[in-house]
Amino acid sequence: MAAAGITTSEQYDYEIVKKFAIMTLVWGMIGMGVGVYIASELAWPILNWDIPYITFGRLRPVHTTLVIFGFGGSALFATSYYVVQRTCQTRLYGNALANLTFWGWQAVMVLAPISYMLGHTQSREYAEMEWPLDLLVEVVWVAYLIVFVGTIMRRKQPHIYVANWFYLAFILATALLHTFNNLAIPVSLFHMKSYSLFSGVQDAMVQWWYGHNAVGFFLTAAFLGMMYYFVPKQAGRPIYSYRLSVVHFWALSFLYMWVGAHHLHWTALPDWTSTLAATFSIMLLLPSWGGMINGIMTLSGAWDKLRTDPVMRFLIVAMSFYGMSTFEGPMLALKDVNALSHYTDWTIGHVHSGALGWVAMITFGSMYHMIPKLWNTKLYSVKLASVHFWLATIGVLLYITAMWISGITQGLMWRAFDDFGNLQYSFVESVAAMHPLYVMRMIGGVFFLSGMLTMVYNCYMTIRQGVRETGPAGVAPAGA
Amino acid sequence: MHAPVQTTGHVWDGDLAEYNNPLPTWWVWAFYATIASSLVYWLIYPAWPVGKGFTKGFETITYVNDKGVTKTTHWNTRALLMKEMNQADKQQRPYFEKVESTPYQKIAADPELSNFVTSAGKTLFQDNCAACHQAGGQGKIGFAPNLTDDDWLYGGTYQKIQETITNGRHGYMPPFRDVLSDRQMDDLASYVLSLSGEKADPARAAAGDALFHSETAACYYCHGADAKGRQVLGSANLTDKIWLWADIPADRTLDRKVQDIEWVIAGGLNKGVMPTWKDRLKPEQIKVLTVYVHELGGGK
Repeated sequence: MAAAGITTSEQYDYEIVKKFAIMTLVWGMIGMGVGVYIASELAWPILNWDIPYITFGRLRPVHTTLVIFGFGGSALFATSYYVVQRTCQTRLYGNALANLTFWGWQAVMVLAPISYMLGHTQSREYAEMEWPLDLLVEVVWVAYLIVFVGTIMRRKQPHIYVANWFYLAFILATALLHTFNNLAIPVSLFHMKSYSLFSGVQDAMVQWWYGHNAVGFFLTAAFLGMMYYFVPKQAGRPIYSYRLSVVHFWALSFLYMWVGAHHLHWTALPDWTSTLAATFSIMLLLPSWGGMINGIMTLSGAWDKLRTDPVMRFLIVAMSFYGMSTFEGPMLALKDVNALSHYTDWTIGHVHSGALGWVAMITFGSMYHMIPKLWNTKLYSVKLASVHFWLATIGVLLYITAMWISGITQGLMWRAFDDFGNLQYSFVESVAAMHPLYVMRMIGGVFFLSGMLTMVYNCYMTIRQGVRETGPAGVAPAGA
Repeated sequence: MHAPVQTTGHVWDGDLAEYNNPLPTWWVWAFYATIASSLVYWLIYPAWPVGKGFTKGFETITYVNDKGVTKTTHWNTRALLMKEMNQADKQQRPYFEKVESTPYQKIAADPELSNFVTSAGKTLFQDNCAACHQAGGQGKIGFAPNLTDDDWLYGGTYQKIQETITNGRHGYMPPFRDVLSDRQMDDLASYVLSLSGEKADPARAAAGDALFHSETAACYYCHGADAKGRQVLGSANLTDKIWLWADIPADRTLDRKVQDIEWVIAGGLNKGVMPTWKDRLKPEQIKVLTVYVHELGGGK
């Protein structure tokens, strides 16, 4: 609904969105590539080559940081800047600040992996960055909040669209989580090492309050924001229920904050804390499903699109995996199930059914929708996107099946007793039993990565085609 | 399915709108059900912090503590662990007690006890010993001795094995690079090869033989005049075909074999360290491991 005579690319700041969209593809490729490599290291440990910088322990946070914050983070910056402008019908607030978020975030994505490989880490899962990088993230995040809120405040629409609630909740919660989980005292001004303000089980509790809400707000709420824009857009239909979106938004935001302690069942954590985390996890199930119901029901009446439109297929399969992993999560949070699953590959499988099946799939779908629009053209190859869809789906299924089998096998082997009351298996026997499953997981990863590479090629050709049609300035020809 | 109701009337970005469908009934009831189940859970288990304590819940656990006293408490993970350990302990204890009171020679003769030792010993071995001696006890040249053959550095009787596990071992051979010339070390290496029936230059081996038994190199002090090693010192038997530090079976050429042995003579050895286990394992566990290792193949 651009004003007469103004094209969307002039009305909106697309440059920043384009930059983040490109980096989504770059970090996706590198982060998933590292993932396949470390999966191979677990199957064939010789691939460490005895080089400390590339051992599993150091490369693992490189993988998680690049896929969650590099790939996922850049995708969230790109889509949130795109969605907030289009649904508020106004240009992005604070051009310089938005650029700061871009360059600052990319700097973190380059520096963090280097620092991990050199051995600098806080040893906090998904928060490995040492204090100088934490401070840089803090600055970027405050700038992000200002840009986002500034844009909402000058909206030309009376109502704030639901996707923006989710994005804003994600930005606010992440600021809170990042700040409190990184309260640490550096050894000195010129030393990377720092020590947490908290100690013992309280430190663990803060870390997992952060860790699980990173899943809740970064990997769930934010990507629901993506879902609330791109699913109805791609389907060309209204959202199924406004009321459901209000209820599940507040229920989700309230309940998520309580559940982090389910990562610490059967530890020094007090039992009452553990119980609360387990029960709030159960209560979180339906609010989580609210988003899935709203997304999938939005498509009712347009199911035929699934046959012809791979973008729609990505979005719908993403919601199916979302529904599945948000069911699996509360189950794993029950103490008795957790007694079997904790410390096993089941957890890794669960994370990846969320990360690959939900987060990556919804990102792929959204990017296939958004990238052609940003460059004012059509997707280079719908067929290739369809190939990507199948590669990705087969990849996820291989991955999570391997990890389910391996996780449950580990859990059962570790707790098996023989007739004498002796442990039936030693740890090393369980490691040996994992080998074929680790190979299978690696193959799943190769499928997923190949899909990602076809996407990079497809998007590269799309952008090239867009630049050729409209010129580098991105001025649309008449009628666009 | 409800017929689509009206949208809320708002439109964003050209065509984005929202229906105002009511919450799905099954969703609402399922949500209430999860809340109800949480309430029940809170009544059963420790749940809410109150003042300096917390609500304990109705569920109780009865277990026997470290001092043998039976206790009943509200449900908690520590008590649950104790209860489960009580059960395993009840099964294991009679066997461990029998192992403790039975002399070594009789353990192997008792089929039930020997089954128990095989079962308990396997896990103990894999969790504590296999990191160096490998999963099957076959060891690794250049790293840790093979426990499945009948060649023992410190002795293969039950008593010696128990001593080794309990107190650990530290093998040592002094370096000779400052004492002997390259030529002399070469001769010694040829002699050592010839002792194991390996091909070697006969003239050099003869020279090595003389050097071995001379006061210049004085190898025979530790390895013995017959070069068969002395178990009180842990010095190796050089006359068998079993190698621990120089990987002779893997070497293809005579030159490489000589070089590998020279490397041992020149640099000496100070890495044959086995840690002591008495602080980590209970005496009865060490006894089980002793029998297990003895039965791996070569016990004397």
